[in-house]
Amino acid sequence: MSFLTDPRGTLGDLTRPEAWVLGVSVAFLLLLFVALLAGALGPTYFLFLVGLAGMYALLSFGLNSQWGFTGLINFSVAAFFGVGAYGAALMTADSSPIAGGFNPLVGLIVGLSVAFVLAVLIGIPTLRLRADYLAIASLGLAEVVRLVVLNERWLTNGSAGLRGIPSFFAGWPVLSTFPQAMPGLRLEVVPGSPIFLEAPFWRASLNVLLVLGFAGATYFVLRRAHRSPWGRVLRTIRSDEDLARALGKNTYSFKMQSFVLGSLIMALAGVFYTHLNLYVGPGDLDPITTFYVWVAVILGGSGSNRGALFGGIVIVTIREGTRFLNDFAVPIDPAPLRLLLIGILIVVVMRYRPQGILPPQRELIWPSAVDGSGTPDRPASGVRERKRSDDLENRSENAENRSDDRDGNGPNGGDDDE
Amino acid sequence: MSDSANATTERTESGESDATGGPQIGAVAGKDDAVLRVDDLQKSFGGLTATDHATFEVERGTITGLIGPNGAGKSTIFNLISGFYEPDGGTVTVNGTDVTGMEPYEVAEHGLVRTFQTPRKLEGMTVREAMLVGPRNQPGESFLNLFTSPGTVGDSESANLADAERILADFEIDHLATQPATDISGGQMKLVELARAMLAEPEVLLLDEPVAGVNPTLAKKLKTQIRRLNERGTTFVLIEHDMEFVMDLADPIVVLDQGSVLTEGTPEAVRSDDRVIDAYLGGGA
Repeated sequence: MSFLTDPRGTLGDLTRPEAWVLGVSVAFLLLLFVALLAGALGPTYFLFLVGLAGMYALLSFGLNSQWGFTGLINFSVAAFFGVGAYGAALMTADSSPIAGGFNPLVGLIVGLSVAFVLAVLIGIPTLRLRADYLAIASLGLAEVVRLVVLNERWLTNGSAGLRGIPSFFAGWPVLSTFPQAMPGLRLEVVPGSPIFLEAPFWRASLNVLLVLGFAGATYFVLRRAHRSPWGRVLRTIRSDEDLARALGKNTYSFKMQSFVLGSLIMALAGVFYTHLNLYVGPGDLDPITTFYVWVAVILGGSGSNRGALFGGIVIVTIREGTRFLNDFAVPIDPAPLRLLLIGILIVVVMRYRPQGILPPQRELIWPSAVDGSGTPDRPASGVRERKRSDDLENRSENAENRSDDRDGNGPNGGDDDE
Repeated sequence: MSDSANATTERTESGESDATGGPQIGAVAGKDDAVLRVDDLQKSFGGLTATDHATFEVERGTITGLIGPNGAGKSTIFNLISGFYEPDGGTVTVNGTDVTGMEPYEVAEHGLVRTFQTPRKLEGMTVREAMLVGPRNQPGESFLNLFTSPGTVGDSESANLADAERILADFEIDHLATQPATDISGGQMKLVELARAMLAEPEVLLLDEPVAGVNPTLAKKLKTQIRRLNERGTTFVLIEHDMEFVMDLADPIVVLDQGSVLTEGTPEAVRSDDRVIDAYLGGGA
């Protein structure tokens, strides 16, 4: 069943949190649309924010594939992000001290390759150990990468960072000249508030297309992986690694694959950021980025791809939205309080919804195995959250089962006796 | 008792007459069809000797009970056999292959799978999803196959799903298939754990206290399933404190005391062995 074939059924099947998220998202989009039409929000800046949200969604996808799927604690999100960003920038920027001027695709390959090597090097000594060793090693890695970027001027320009980075589509046929080729447009929906759509807008549109492409492809890969036996082994490792080992799974290999995959996605976000912002500096590798991404994943629901997407968007909304609150009659300056707001948000979520806003809902079995003929139907509920009344009913039923267990009466009654 | 079980008893009784002749119990020249050989196994934790030159063999097609008082080293031996602990000395051989020091997944690849004393919960999975973790070497466990051979992955997943549903039905717990795996009772979890282990198609299955904390009804069901699977060819080694359960099901029985093998033989022989009574029952029984 899909929204296109059965919209009413799909909407009716939503759980309360899903309906809530859908409602809030629609309201938020309407608000943005009105703000755009009214000229309160510049269209180019809006697209920049969409790009930023896509970047955070990518970072959240990366961490989700490590922590959410496999339970790997990685505190070096910013490091892998920075490796991707610097890898791309060093290959393409005019100010690059070692290379520069290469096609952005070369930068993409270099950024991802360095992230791959780094992930393997960190994974080899730590992934055979308990999860906390990876956490400690990744914490150290984040600082090492940041300090190397800051201090090795011959390589990275140090604190000056790298400027003169071209757009991702520089050198591409058609797309490289697309922003200049598009005519400037002037729209005036609200009298006195004209909207200008010129070259920067079209350039930002390309960036949005790029991040949608990156995030869409990543979502597709992770969604498929999550529902596969591969993903199931990762989820088993997260719940109980010993069980996976006892059943013949090479958990070290699976953890390495998960760690490398997540690190590559983070580096991909870094590559995109480089071409979105057109400048990278050591400040982009600050630990706060890692913190934001962890919050996004926990807020959205660990192990949920759509939760990671939602969390990434919420983080950017809070981070950037607080800048606009000064335009209203707020008695305090909220922008410096955004960390506090995020902290409060995560405390509230942990208190009232520890599984996150959109945790994984459905049974994750390879689609053709459950949808094909001759196999059991896919359950309507599975691990899906139940409506409150169903939940209570099930709880009492299970409590009864356990009580039967203790009393020596099996849940299936005496008929099951030999 | 089934014919095969009777045959097992006869084989074991003949082995027992060899074994009871001296202290080197189990260190016989070798049973003709031993699927598991534990030879002079040693393990210490600091100053504590948990396994002290333990030697025994498990013949193919048997249900071998591993009993002993608390602290006798039963679980340590399971951990040593299945690769969770590395022994200080001695060897473990599965199907003629020396698996000593191998990782647990490598031991499993040689056909030896184990369950745990406390059933392992798989968060966020339904029972049938949890079952699907069992089969070994699934095509869908390769990341590349997910994108290069999705058809093969789908076929394999369908076949495994059908197997899982069939085994759940055999175990009479198919009604739990779409329940969250964490929401079922402890006894049901034990059944699911056994059913899942069977999907790994083990030749030898180590069961660590399969009926601990399980009500008598489910314990009976577990016993029936173990016996049925054994008749189909799976070899079992089980640790169990429920003497009635183990004496009724297992033959032979290996008795451990202070990390070494005290004796082994038929339930009757073990029950009447003074050394077992001394060690296990404190000499009061």
